Amino acid sequence: MSEKRYYHAIQILDDNCTGCTACVRVCPTEAIRVRDRKATIDQNRCIDCGNCVTACQFHAIIPRSDPLDIIQNFKYKVAIISSSYAGQFSEDVSYPVAKQALLKLGFDEVAEESYVTEFVIRIIRDYIRTHKEIRPIISSNCPAVVRLIQVKFPSLLPNMLHLEAPMSILTRFIREEVQRSKNLKEDELGVFLIVPCVAHVTAVHQPEGAYKHLQDGACSAGMIYGKLKDLLKNIQNNPQEIDTYEKGLTWALSGLEGEMAEDKDIRALTVNGIENVMEVLSKVEDHYLDQYDYIVLRSCTNGCVGGCLNIENPFVAMSRIKKLIREGKPFDFDTTELDDLYKEGEFAVVPLKPRSIMELDKDIKTAIKKMKQINEFLIMLPGLNCSACGSPTCYALAEDIVQGKATIDDCVVLLKRHTKEEEQ
Amino acid sequence: MAEYWNINPEHESAVRDFFTSVPEADVVLDFEIGEKDFVNSGKGSAEVKNTLKRLGIGPETLRRIAVASYEAEINVTAHSQGGRMDSYLYDEFILIRFTDKGPGIADIEQAMVPGFSTADDLVREMGFGAGLGLPNILKNSDALHIVSAQGESTRVEIMIFYGN
Ligand SMILES: Nc1ncnc2c1ncn2[C@@H]1O[C@H](COP(=O)(O)OP(=O)(O)OP(=O)(O)O)[C@@H](O)[C@H]1O
Ligand SMILES: [Mg+2]
Repeated sequence: MSEKRYYHAIQILDDNCTGCTACVRVCPTEAIRVRDRKATIDQNRCIDCGNCVTACQFHAIIPRSDPLDIIQNFKYKVAIISSSYAGQFSEDVSYPVAKQALLKLGFDEVAEESYVTEFVIRIIRDYIRTHKEIRPIISSNCPAVVRLIQVKFPSLLPNMLHLEAPMSILTRFIREEVQRSKNLKEDELGVFLIVPCVAHVTAVHQPEGAYKHLQDGACSAGMIYGKLKDLLKNIQNNPQEIDTYEKGLTWALSGLEGEMAEDKDIRALTVNGIENVMEVLSKVEDHYLDQYDYIVLRSCTNGCVGGCLNIENPFVAMSRIKKLIREGKPFDFDTTELDDLYKEGEFAVVPLKPRSIMELDKDIKTAIKKMKQINEFLIMLPGLNCSACGSPTCYALAEDIVQGKATIDDCVVLLKRHTKEEEQ
Repeated sequence: MAEYWNINPEHESAVRDFFTSVPEADVVLDFEIGEKDFVNSGKGSAEVKNTLKRLGIGPETLRRIAVASYEAEINVTAHSQGGRMDSYLYDEFILIRFTDKGPGIADIEQAMVPGFSTADDLVREMGFGAGLGLPNILKNSDALHIVSAQGESTRVEIMIFYGN
């Protein structure tokens, strides 16, 4: 059997890991175990949500993204900024300044995800209306949510919006436009995303459902901010005329995506934060949310502004972006070409496939036997869910024991009790 | 005590055999259900569903089990003075038994009629009381067994086969 290898943008530095289990407890798919005082991630279960990155106090779980040097491999370099980027700067730095600063880092052109927001909302509505037999349709924009559904809610895969995400749509547009207007060969044009989270890094390196590999790299918004900080003063003093499209920044905020998709005949629900997302997916599974036409799910607090590669607090960033949207001027972005591409089916994606990790065994009878054994171990365990053993809960330890990945002696509490008994 | 039975003919003999012998189950899940505790109601059936996912049971069967057990769990919360939910996992099917502390159902046949409901204001405020819960359980189960009487406790047993 061929095991598919999944790309992940999360890396553990063994030297820094203290085995504290903070990461183990926040992982929504229970992918992390501490064994021999070091954390390890089950690559099949990890969905790149970034919870562990945020939880680790010891810089032992490091987000991976592409270094800026890689852009030098291309003759013409285009950066696409994710909408949440606009919320990362203090208010004395205007959005146009934050945008043109990227040119100083070596990019030849900067495009904004926000260009295509209105177009994307239009095709999402069209998709919802032409897929009446499927309810609710689930937004596929958040790569962590897509992977969560693949591993924990595979029965909902047909409900996913099977269209490319905005930054990928924009990439296609840029590839057509820029390549033509600048007379470039395909491999001379490099397109890079400035992303708010590790899930987007993973999505660039291993896109789910994509027909073509679109982007050449993903740089962390935080890393870019670090490099820009010192350049900003200078640019502020010599600002250049540059177009920006604030009105489309709605994409950074999950609530606004839902509101924009809503219409007389489209009812939308918006949910963010991975725990909430899991609860809602469970309800969708049971058909208790069929009254909704569209559900927007984002793994991070408030949507992409909550991504772990951002530097600003998600609520502060949200407030800034709302201000920019309110004050933004109208902007005319010609979508004729995009409309044509959509009609040709260019933005459709391959049906998403499950990543099955949930079954205890391929055979139901064996699975029930294993579950019985798990329950027998569970009775022996203290039920404190302290995760000192390195598994997230007593249940998970019991399961690890039955699957041969741990022993009952890993339970610290039991061990202590036994030594006490022996002493007496 | 009045008794109500409905059995999917496809599983008639398996169901009869089961209820005459009631073998011990390999896996049992139990859950307390509090009177009018709408905050926690539904957690028992969610736990059952998540447990069944681990067995690799198909999505359609999972859905039927989730819907039937959820409706029955809500009924105990909404209409009784509290009770419990016990789920028994066997190789080919699941049996979920709800037992409560009364006040019982005066006329079970009537309670089964779609649209019949005695839900009070609080229950309606919570969004329940359309009188569709029991019919929904009936539709999604392979066997439904209800034992109750006015002033007595109610027992609802639901059996669902995993299929292929
Ligand atoms: N556990 C129970 N104890 C006492 N009465 C019950 C119990 N379960 C159901 N009933 C009675 O049966 C009626 C019909 O139940 P059913 O679940 O079909 O509808 P409902 O609970 O009233 O509304 P809905 O389920 O649509 O929210 C209830 O209104 C109630 O009178
Ligand atoms: Mg009911």
